[in-house]
Amino acid sequence: MLELIVFYVFAAMAVIFAVVVITHKNTVVSAISLVASLFSLAVMYVLLEAPFIAALQVIVYAGAIMVLFLFVIMLLNLQLQDEERTRPVQQFLGWFGSAAFGITLIYYIVKATVIQTLPHTPFMSDVRSLGIRLFEAYVFPFEMVSILLLSAIVGAIVLTQRGPMGEEPRGDR
Amino acid sequence: MPFDATDISLSVLKIAIVLGVLLSVTPIMVWVERRGSALIQDRVGPNRVGPFGLLQSFADALKFILKEDVIPAKAHKVLYTLAPMFGLLPAVTTFAVIPWGRAFIIPEMTLAGWTLFEGGRLFEPIVADVNVGILLIFALASLGVYGIVTAGWASNSKYSMFGAVRASAQMISYELALTLAAIVTLMSAGSLRLVDVVNSQAGYFVLFDMIKIPAWNMFPMFIGFVVFTVSGFAETNRLPFDLPEAEAELVAGYHTEYSSMKFAMFFMAEYMAMFTMAALITTLFLGGWDVPWYDEPPTFLGFALSVLAFATKVGFLLFVFVWVRWTLPRFKYDQLMRLGWKVFLPLAILNIIIVALLIAFQWI
Repeated sequence: MLELIVFYVFAAMAVIFAVVVITHKNTVVSAISLVASLFSLAVMYVLLEAPFIAALQVIVYAGAIMVLFLFVIMLLNLQLQDEERTRPVQQFLGWFGSAAFGITLIYYIVKATVIQTLPHTPFMSDVRSLGIRLFEAYVFPFEMVSILLLSAIVGAIVLTQRGPMGEEPRGDR
Repeated sequence: MPFDATDISLSVLKIAIVLGVLLSVTPIMVWVERRGSALIQDRVGPNRVGPFGLLQSFADALKFILKEDVIPAKAHKVLYTLAPMFGLLPAVTTFAVIPWGRAFIIPEMTLAGWTLFEGGRLFEPIVADVNVGILLIFALASLGVYGIVTAGWASNSKYSMFGAVRASAQMISYELALTLAAIVTLMSAGSLRLVDVVNSQAGYFVLFDMIKIPAWNMFPMFIGFVVFTVSGFAETNRLPFDLPEAEAELVAGYHTEYSSMKFAMFFMAEYMAMFTMAALITTLFLGGWDVPWYDEPPTFLGFALSVLAFATKVGFLLFVFVWVRWTLPRFKYDQLMRLGWKVFLPLAILNIIIVALLIAFQWI
């Protein structure tokens, strides 16, 4: 009973804030709404008895990535402006594409008769078994991701680095 | 797990205790800070309201409530109002996963034939003993930056904005060193649960077969202890790392435009974060509620002694926070960033390697 109340409150929050993200004119409000939406999703993970994933969701998305988003938005200090509709084709494709996707999604959700319920045993929320899996069965993708991230870091440093004479960064500005 | 009315009332009791302590820590710490600074600067400090000026903080609180609440004309009103709440929320909630005493079995309590309390229940002095304890702390602490960033942006003032930008850069940088420094304690405990971290620090190290020192993490993981403590200062925006406020340059940083109770909420958040940080340092590196050179019995007496030990350690660390604030000058911004990324981050990683070797050779 208590779980159900928590679920409905946070499910509603997740949906409402997600709608605010795409409808609000102010980018800072949108970013903070996205944080609230991600946080509500983390509560869903807690309800699914996966507190580890919930904590990671908050640390990685709400805590790290969105702070940087907000940082950039604030520094750019975007002003509210109504842009003219320069490319009607894009407008059309945008509306049409998202409407088609939405209708398809609703159609298949309604059509699905057998909704698979999760087994009652909780997820592998134990950190020890998660770590063992990560370093045994999934060690190759894990290491590949770390190489990918390293190359991204090196790339970012190269793009912003000043030369020995203090000239401008080489990156495209 | 059966969860009955007694469990619920015990939980409510624990939450009430933790919240009560957290809320009363702000006025007490403000008093300690002002008297401490006076002591260090050879002044008297506030000594008029109540004995030793103890009631000064309550007078200040009353003043905060009665002051006019100004919202700048060009501020974003909704976010400006929400920002102090964003700041206070993580500060209030993080303490839930920190254990503050030894568990004990509650004895049966009777009064004139009535059973007030059926005995045999284990009382664990922690609000939420979740198995990802420390991750929850880092998750909530990483949300703390939103209060500052939102406040800075919503105030629509350049000083607030600069303070907010500095704060977010600083907190993101030091969070990394803080987390890496904490990992070693989890490695030796083999668990993310803070109760296990405390239990792993019970017992003694015996030096040269004669000197017994408590097996606290701060001895084998000294580098991690130092990195964690200093990063904790930066994470709570205390001097010498209080660049987000830097009154000489930024008026008052991110809360320049705030007044009345909204300002008081930022103030409370800062002191609560400091208290939680002190409790976390105690739990991870100073043996938590472990009483040195004494094995507490699992009774109420042992519980009371362990809470006293915990409070003493946290109190000492809080005094160190005040002591450092009034002793060291503020860092420059580039020095702060260089220290975080080029000194503390490599040191924390070096510490992980050292402790991993120690564990591999079974020395700790």
